[in-house]
Amino acid sequence: MRFSDLLIMSVNNLRRRKLRTVLTVLGVVIGTASIVVMISLGIGLQEMTVAQYASSGSLTRIEIYNDAMWNSDAKEESFLEDTKIAQLERLPHVTAVSPILQVYVQMRQGAYSGSSEIMGVSREVLDEIKLGEGRLPDPNANTMELVVGNMVSRNFYNSKSGRGYWETGEMPDVDLYNRQFFMIFQSNGPSEEQTEKKYIFPVCGMVESKTDENGNPVYNEYSYGIYTDIELLKEQLKRIYRKNPIPGQPTNKKGKPYNYFIYSQAYVYVDDMENVVSVQKEITDMGYQAYSNMQWLEQAQEQLDMIQAVLGGIGAVSLFVAAIGIANTMMMSIYERTKEIGVLKVLGCALGDIRSMFLMEAGFIGFLGGVIGLCLSYAVSALVNRFLGAGLMGMGGAAGAGISRIPASLSVLAVVFAIMIGMLAGLFPALRAMKLSPLAAIRNE
Amino acid sequence: MGEQAADREPVADKETAAEKEQAADQESVAGKEQTTDKEQTARKVPVIRVKDLYKVYRMGDERVYALNGVDFEIFRGEFCAITGPSGSGKSTLLNMLAGLEPPSKGEIVIAGKHIEKLNEKQLVSFRRERVGFIFQSYNLIATMNALENVALPLSFRGMGRSERIRRAKHFLKLVGLERFMKHMPSQMSGGQQQRVGIARALAVDPQIIFADEPTGNLDSKTTLEVLKLMRQIVRKQGQTLVMVTHDNNLASYADRIFKIIDGKIVSIEEGKRDDEEI
Repeated sequence: MRFSDLLIMSVNNLRRRKLRTVLTVLGVVIGTASIVVMISLGIGLQEMTVAQYASSGSLTRIEIYNDAMWNSDAKEESFLEDTKIAQLERLPHVTAVSPILQVYVQMRQGAYSGSSEIMGVSREVLDEIKLGEGRLPDPNANTMELVVGNMVSRNFYNSKSGRGYWETGEMPDVDLYNRQFFMIFQSNGPSEEQTEKKYIFPVCGMVESKTDENGNPVYNEYSYGIYTDIELLKEQLKRIYRKNPIPGQPTNKKGKPYNYFIYSQAYVYVDDMENVVSVQKEITDMGYQAYSNMQWLEQAQEQLDMIQAVLGGIGAVSLFVAAIGIANTMMMSIYERTKEIGVLKVLGCALGDIRSMFLMEAGFIGFLGGVIGLCLSYAVSALVNRFLGAGLMGMGGAAGAGISRIPASLSVLAVVFAIMIGMLAGLFPALRAMKLSPLAAIRNE
Repeated sequence: MGEQAADREPVADKETAAEKEQAADQESVAGKEQTTDKEQTARKVPVIRVKDLYKVYRMGDERVYALNGVDFEIFRGEFCAITGPSGSGKSTLLNMLAGLEPPSKGEIVIAGKHIEKLNEKQLVSFRRERVGFIFQSYNLIATMNALENVALPLSFRGMGRSERIRRAKHFLKLVGLERFMKHMPSQMSGGQQQRVGIARALAVDPQIIFADEPTGNLDSKTTLEVLKLMRQIVRKQGQTLVMVTHDNNLASYADRIFKIIDGKIVSIEEGKRDDEEI
């Protein structure tokens, strides 16, 4: 028999018992919808978690700390400096390593003063900063260009009243992008305090400032820092302090500075999220303290996988019940149609065709249930996002997408799965129909 | 030959079978359309040959012989009636000829093929290609109209829809139902339904048509009409018709009448009525 003929016969048979078909389909609808909604919640939760970790730092970055420089007993070899950075760069899967040089500065603009840290970083780190205004520092500029965090101005206070944003809750009248401000570097000894010099550096960019639904700026990892090119910062520091020790840099036993820069911190960039944990382990084995978002994400992932499995399992139970419903409906239908099946056999309908006919019927119930169930899932998902999602949005971070997410692959998979469940449930009844005796057609009731 | 033959094109198959069986009888091989004119020669081609056929049912410890050694031949283009009282084994015989029930012992050769040796799959394809079946209770598919019912067995052969419908229309006209093509079985009288059943059996252009009490559910007037129609069409197309009935009067319209009592053929009579009488 042709496929189209089989299909028409199957569909006609389903139309014959409309109520029963509708009820069976309803079972599949509920089963499919519950599975899809449950999994969509799992996916939403997972994506939210990833987004949350990603918002607090790149997922392919490992942060290295070395506290040897604060330890007066530490040997010189344990310092994190440029040769160690080069060594780290040679590790497999590492794409770049950026040392981080931190300098504490005082700032003044009009009546307000504040403090922050200038972070000298390499291009890789600068490239990751999302800018709201301006551009990244030019590595070939003859002076230090700054990228200023969008929340740095919160740390300014009125030098007359001594009160700032944290006390009053009002933003100080400071504009770090459009107006100039002075920078004062820490002196290296109390004796020279009166000779502090004021510097003005051009600000080339501001860190992007997103706002949440209430109009409040959203924090990101660059919000409170001032960033610049590390090489230019080194030059600047050498010019300021000459042969004197730089505050924050260790000195040897005689109180003399070393002739190279020592870093307390560095960022290691890994080619892929997958490799982060293994690279991190290597770095830890080398004697550094290393942290990565991936490390936390991986732990969270394990928990999420379990939640996902539990949610999917709850949905699967109802689809399983629906499958039993399909099997029952098909069995009933075969008992009712014993005579008709016999007639088909007497008239020469191939056994395989009879089996296919019933499998298609069951599969069609699955298909209908799957499609309608999917539509229902989209509706439920929209409702969940609207009423339940808003509350969870605060922890989710990324606005726009809700907690229940149905990707296209899930939709396709759901329908295919429903059809397969239908056919699986219909398999036994179909084989039963195939084996029915043609003699049933002859008997007269 | 068995399975191979069953899967071949029906027309080619018929010819092969005929050649094997009666290579000598060139005239009958030439075509069955001529059978009406040359009925005398055609009669000698056996299309069904039954040899020493037994069917034994076990009922507890007892063995019941539904068929107890049956031998006969039915020729091409013949109209045969199998009669007997109820429980005589006549329906069992028909079921076995159509390959619906396996015999306990014996041979059934239809168009050169041993039916008793075929498996179920082969039997289905044998029925699909060679056999038409007319049921006592019509057995039309309730959800299909007359036209679709007639076209149904053709779809089992994988025939395209337009071709099926064309053939179905032809045969519905032949049984005089051109005005009832779109009627559902429930909207037709018993006689009309049985005409649809006859058209369905004819549509596949079978070599042999089996009819199991085809008029059993009809009143006497309709019975005669249906019987006439069956005989007339089968004659015209040179097909073999095997009818089971318990009614001796109906059986008398056949060319030959096989009387079965207790699983044995007790007599084979020539039919008494000529074509003109019908």
